[in-house]
Amino acid sequence: MKPFLLIIMIFSFATGLFAQQKKTIDFIGGARSYMSNSAINVQDSLPDTTTLKRNTGGYALIDMGVNIRPNDKTEIMGMFRIRNEYGGFWGAGVSFDVRQLWLKGIIGNVLRYQLGDLNLKQTPFTLYNNRVQLMDSLPSIFQLQQNIVNYEKFYTNNTWRQQGANVDFGLTFNKYIESIDVNAYLTRLRATDFSSVPDRLLGGFSLAIKQNNKLSYGLHKVSTFDLKGTILDSNVYTNNVTTLYAENKFYYKHNLGILKIELGNSVAKYSKDALAPVLKDYFIHAQAQFVAPANKWVASIAYLNVGPDFRSVGAQSMNVNFNASPNFYTSYANNKLSRPLSIMDLVRNEQIYTTGVSSNLMKPSLMYNAILPFGLATFNRVGVYTKASYQGIKGMDLNASVYKLSEIRGQGTTQLKQFLQAELQTTFQLHQLIGFKKGLLLQTGCRLQQTKRTGAIAVEQVDLKSLAWQVGVNYEFAPKLQLIGGMIFFNAKGNDFVADRNLYTTVDYFTNQKMDVAQQMTALGLKCNISAKSYITALYQSASYQDKLLVMPDYTMKQFLLIYNMTF
Amino acid sequence: MKKILIVISFFLGLTILSCRKENTIDGPSIEDLYSSFKMLSTFKANKDSVDFSTGATVGFSATFNKIVSWKITITGTTSKAKKVFSGQSKSIDAATTIWNGTTTYFPLFAVENCIAKLTIDGVTDTFQVPVKIKNTRTINTSLVIADFESGFNPAWVKFVQTGANMDFNIKSDTSKVQGNSYLNMAGTVNWDWLIGLVDFPATAYSTSANTLNLNANPDAVYFNCLVYGVPNTNMSKVLFQFKEDENADGVFNANNEDEYDYNIDVTWTGWKLVSIKYSDITALVNGQPVTPKGNSIHNPNKIGKISMLHLADKALGAAACKIDFICFTSTPLEL
Repeated sequence: MKPFLLIIMIFSFATGLFAQQKKTIDFIGGARSYMSNSAINVQDSLPDTTTLKRNTGGYALIDMGVNIRPNDKTEIMGMFRIRNEYGGFWGAGVSFDVRQLWLKGIIGNVLRYQLGDLNLKQTPFTLYNNRVQLMDSLPSIFQLQQNIVNYEKFYTNNTWRQQGANVDFGLTFNKYIESIDVNAYLTRLRATDFSSVPDRLLGGFSLAIKQNNKLSYGLHKVSTFDLKGTILDSNVYTNNVTTLYAENKFYYKHNLGILKIELGNSVAKYSKDALAPVLKDYFIHAQAQFVAPANKWVASIAYLNVGPDFRSVGAQSMNVNFNASPNFYTSYANNKLSRPLSIMDLVRNEQIYTTGVSSNLMKPSLMYNAILPFGLATFNRVGVYTKASYQGIKGMDLNASVYKLSEIRGQGTTQLKQFLQAELQTTFQLHQLIGFKKGLLLQTGCRLQQTKRTGAIAVEQVDLKSLAWQVGVNYEFAPKLQLIGGMIFFNAKGNDFVADRNLYTTVDYFTNQKMDVAQQMTALGLKCNISAKSYITALYQSASYQDKLLVMPDYTMKQFLLIYNMTF
Repeated sequence: MKKILIVISFFLGLTILSCRKENTIDGPSIEDLYSSFKMLSTFKANKDSVDFSTGATVGFSATFNKIVSWKITITGTTSKAKKVFSGQSKSIDAATTIWNGTTTYFPLFAVENCIAKLTIDGVTDTFQVPVKIKNTRTINTSLVIADFESGFNPAWVKFVQTGANMDFNIKSDTSKVQGNSYLNMAGTVNWDWLIGLVDFPATAYSTSANTLNLNANPDAVYFNCLVYGVPNTNMSKVLFQFKEDENADGVFNANNEDEYDYNIDVTWTGWKLVSIKYSDITALVNGQPVTPKGNSIHNPNKIGKISMLHLADKALGAAACKIDFICFTSTPLEL
């Protein structure tokens, strides 16, 4: 009943405002219908008489947002979601939720503010949604399923969705410096349980100084802290990260050169816990980038050094919880084993994706990303990386990157792991390249990750290799009608040691994880672009998970999907 | 060219700036966690025979390639007494793993040959060395109340209830723990808690004084005894009553002199050493602490009589236990 009342109140408020002059009101939102019919086939060693092997269902939802501007200095946004599971009617399976609620405005033409839901981002070392992905981009048949996850979890431009308050203002000057922009925020990361878990807040600010068109520099600060007094225990956690950055642009033979540097330190500690270590460390990230005229090519080389004790809650949160259980086919083998996540889960399962910054350090997955699980903020990494992209030929887009890193401090040994990651992505607009009349898009990509450690003794040795490659085709055989298809192959083989970390994020134990897993996902479908903001698609996809070490039973999932999606 | 040099200098400077040397490692050593076990130096004792009566000791040593959970069990070939050391480490050090002749599992060691056996968790091999005891250790006591080696002292007063299978006698059999004899206390009394008692008056230990010759400081006096719990019988209670003759008139007056009580519920099987500081012993009535009726000061040097009662729940039937080496020491007794 509460959501109904809330809707009525907002609409009444909106109508009241609308009745006055100079007020505007817009309706925005989206709608989606999602129908799925799937089956799982498991290579059971014993007859499985309890696990359900088929699943059918889906939902229809509408997100209805009201954007109200009662005056030229205030904007209010409220979005509600009505969702109905297929098969549910008149209450059963129907849910009403508040999806977004924020208010923003400007005070005295100087200070901008926003209250409620915030999309926040600073830098990859302070506050940043380092997306866990197999590759930087997916073939379009998989990307459209990822886009649904992105929409559901508010993933836009590496921001984290938080709740709190944000203010920013800017100053311009005539002499010495051009402008100063200041942004500050305070959000609630975790609510207290009134007994043992205190309120945890996340706050920070950025100070950006633009000296001139070529030189800019500034400061970022982010702090995660427990609010004293929200529980009886006065032992509180704090994590402070402070970084300085500078950026200088110059021209070399008509090519734009950009030098960037960001360096900073972190302190993580508990105030009254004798067992808790005080973790202090620093990082340096420096990058030189060259951009050819008209962005024909872009190349960069960077140096990265992130200390083993560098802790940054806002930057070291993953958007995938690898310990989460999938919401379909959660267990198998007579419901005795938890089904391991597959690339199909990574592509489309929104249940394993997180909504905000995690208050504790999450456990990464060695299989999917052993090298930079927390993005550039991954601690205990030093080395260089280079990126290059080429768009010199119309209809062709090439992107490549290579990371060559190593550990700074040994994990359970004085020997250090060496990391190599190489990735290549290509997009060919074949209709442009070969003069084909109908739209034909070919996407390819591959990523290699290699982790090695040559131990002084055999037991310390690490040799883990993962290879992902993908191909996607998009053929517009009739106006607005596309045949779409794609494949992803993924192999991970070898061994590495998983660090079991305690509450203080220090290592208690190393588990030697051996794996030899081969996965494959293929999909084929038809897509009808009804308009620029809506489409309907029918897909058939299959994903197989094969564990050659026989740790977990192999399985294959097949799924038919009918998706209608629109935004307005 | 100048700009390229700037870029190169920029990175070179950063590399130098960020140079760090890490000598530590994160977490436990993987070698310790995962490598297969190897004995780097053999298990040995620093002497093959020892005279514990002179205060001599034996140390054991061994070195492994990783941290292991280890246990050394020294067993007397004749007495079957056992001494156990255990730990979790990468080495066993003769300076810290020292055997002074004491016992973990009774009886006490005798003059005999012993075998020290090293076992390691997860390792099937065992390692052993022989050690010969030339003389057992000297036990330092302040006063031995009863070790039953010389029979029943005529000054002691024994009372045994009427019941079935009553056995309140000194025995010398395979159950012996210290010396050759102990007191057996067994029987069935289905009408009273008391099975039997023995009074140890101070006059049994001195012809000139009415109180025991003990230190006046109750924090420097420990009461000790060895109690044997008989398997598969009902629980025995052994109650010691320390009756202080505060006015040293040779008579304990329960109305105006202190009595402290130490109740032992025999919940175990086999021999066990019980040791308590005299100042920790309280006055009890029906098992509940009460204020003593005398000066309420623990005066071990004024103990006129010790009564030892063997009690058992009358509803349960037969009860049995054994007792030996009732004594006082200045520190907790180590056997």
